[in-house]
Amino acid sequence: MSRAGLSLDRLGGVIAILIAAAIILGPFSIYRANRIASGDARGIMFALPSAFAIGLMVLSMAIALVSAFVRALAARLAAAAFGMIAVFVAMGRSADFLTPAGNSFARVSPAWGFWLLSFAFALLVADALTRLRFGPWERLAALAVAAITLALLLGSGAWNNVSILKEYATRADSFWREARQHIVLALGSLSASVLVGIPLGILCHRIPAIKSAVLQTLNVIQTIPSIALFGMLMAPLAYLAATFPLAATLGIHGIGAAPAFVALFLYSLLPVVANTVVGLDQVSPKVIDAARGMGLSSRQRLQQVEFPLAFPTILTGIRIVLVQNIGLATVAALIGGGGFGTFVFQGAGQTALDLVLLGAIPTVLLAFAGAVILDALVDLAKGARA
Amino acid sequence: MIAIEHLTKRYGADIVVDDVSLDVESGTIAVVVGTSGAGKSTLLRMVNRLIEPTAGRVLIDGQDTVTIPEDELRHRIGYVIQGNGLFPHRTVAENIATVPRLLGWEKKRIASRVDDLLNLFQLDPATFASKYPHQLSGGEQQRVGVARALAAEPKLLLMDEPFGALDPLIRTKAQADLLAIQRRFKTTILLVTHDMEEAFHLGDRIAVMDQARLLQYAAPTEILMRPAHEFVERLVGTAERPFRLLSLTSVSRALEPGNASGPPIDISANLRDALSELVWSGREALPVSDISGATIGKVSVAGILALRREQP
Repeated sequence: MSRAGLSLDRLGGVIAILIAAAIILGPFSIYRANRIASGDARGIMFALPSAFAIGLMVLSMAIALVSAFVRALAARLAAAAFGMIAVFVAMGRSADFLTPAGNSFARVSPAWGFWLLSFAFALLVADALTRLRFGPWERLAALAVAAITLALLLGSGAWNNVSILKEYATRADSFWREARQHIVLALGSLSASVLVGIPLGILCHRIPAIKSAVLQTLNVIQTIPSIALFGMLMAPLAYLAATFPLAATLGIHGIGAAPAFVALFLYSLLPVVANTVVGLDQVSPKVIDAARGMGLSSRQRLQQVEFPLAFPTILTGIRIVLVQNIGLATVAALIGGGGFGTFVFQGAGQTALDLVLLGAIPTVLLAFAGAVILDALVDLAKGARA
Repeated sequence: MIAIEHLTKRYGADIVVDDVSLDVESGTIAVVVGTSGAGKSTLLRMVNRLIEPTAGRVLIDGQDTVTIPEDELRHRIGYVIQGNGLFPHRTVAENIATVPRLLGWEKKRIASRVDDLLNLFQLDPATFASKYPHQLSGGEQQRVGVARALAAEPKLLLMDEPFGALDPLIRTKAQADLLAIQRRFKTTILLVTHDMEEAFHLGDRIAVMDQARLLQYAAPTEILMRPAHEFVERLVGTAERPFRLLSLTSVSRALEPGNASGPPIDISANLRDALSELVWSGREALPVSDISGATIGKVSVAGILALRREQP
């Protein structure tokens, strides 16, 4: 029921102010003579060809007005999505424009005006999506559309002159290798913790005597800083590798992926076990009594009643672990475990921010996608019984 | 027939059920009443061995229940609890199919049984079969709970405060449905309640329990006329007693020859309904009609009072 006439949308108004601040005050890109030189920030008018710059500013102001005053959700979503694509394309155009012809040392990177503008548009997209109350399938579809759009934009070469992609271009091979390693670390340790954690959670639920001991232990493990945990794992894993040749051939060493994997696994256990216990504890005693009274054996009760009812809660725990692991796997690079952290730490060592971003941005996108997918799965698991 | 023999349950020094014996004839309803904590539910739950007795035994048609494997025993006994305990992740049809599925019935047989039961409980299968419990009203959930208990055609039905969560109007309807279905299938029912009204309405026999002990087990009239214990006297000796007694007595007992004016009352009605109608319409007598609607006599205030004086 939209009211007639103009009425200000509160969050939309704030987003409009962010957009205005980004295009009026913010430098759009930073030009540097080489990848570690100090930069020279350029506002939109100086970062893009004039016609393009004016076009981007007009478009952004138009979207700001939509954000502030237009109520129709589809229009808001369309405007924001269009804005995101436009600002993304503009960044690539700015890099082409600022890079002197034939100069392969110069670097053009996004400045805070770009980031703020992207953030404002992303906020508008997120707000519109939330208000549209998309179901799980629609959210997954939206994610797929976003991923495909991003892939097409990157694949078209529009960003090839942007500093982050220049860093990518020189290490394309290792980028995908580390990407795979990152996913193996995050998902592998997640699978291991699910395989161990769910039975452990069931055990804790069935035998209350061990419940607090197990949960306390896992709690303590959670509080150990990751680097300390790596250190603590080095000795036993190195011993394992030295004692059993088989372990060494399987790739188990004191440093590298093995301790990172084990650490991630240990961190993952608490959310999985705790959510399994909570999920099972939440099952109504009346439902259990009815199941017993109808002659379901202990195993049938677990398989047909308790576990299915606890499953959405368990899945929520898995969601926590997935996002946590994708982030934490970055630290694995510290001990030679690979993953996107490799670029983050290399970049930090070289004070090359672009390289840091090459590691950080895919990590954030991966975690975000993981969260959206698992949230959708949780909703699907709850199904019609809501 | 269900024979409960010297059933006792102790938790440490606490006696929850103390040496209770009672028989329930096949095809009848026995209602166990008492205050909360009297041990009624424990007694009921020892019948299907959800609780193992400390002493005593339960015989079903002469067979000691300890000789039957627990789960198998429970497949043969319907079980209904307060708030129904439906499985929230399963549809109405899947809930009802629970025991038949455990018993490995064929899919077709299960489907037709589910349809029959839904129709029996006035729930249209096309509408209700695929609904989830949270989409049903309290009364509908309760009916599905009873339908689920009856799915595998049990001879015996245990009901623990089955109507406790329903509001009065729906409860009365649910009780009437239960009586109709019990008469149709001749199911033996052992029902626990703390509601005296319900006990007198449903029970062929009533067992009164207090503080773990069975105080009296008898037909409703007997309980009203000759309470065997001070506690039973307190429980039934309220202003309600004469009306309960009348509600257990058929109009035919007070039928007199003659006729009266005004709308008639059915011969199968009880005397409480008759008295109620007499008081409300301000008449001295009502015509009584049989099934065909023909007037066969009358029932009067004086006749009802005289009947009470005849009884010892």
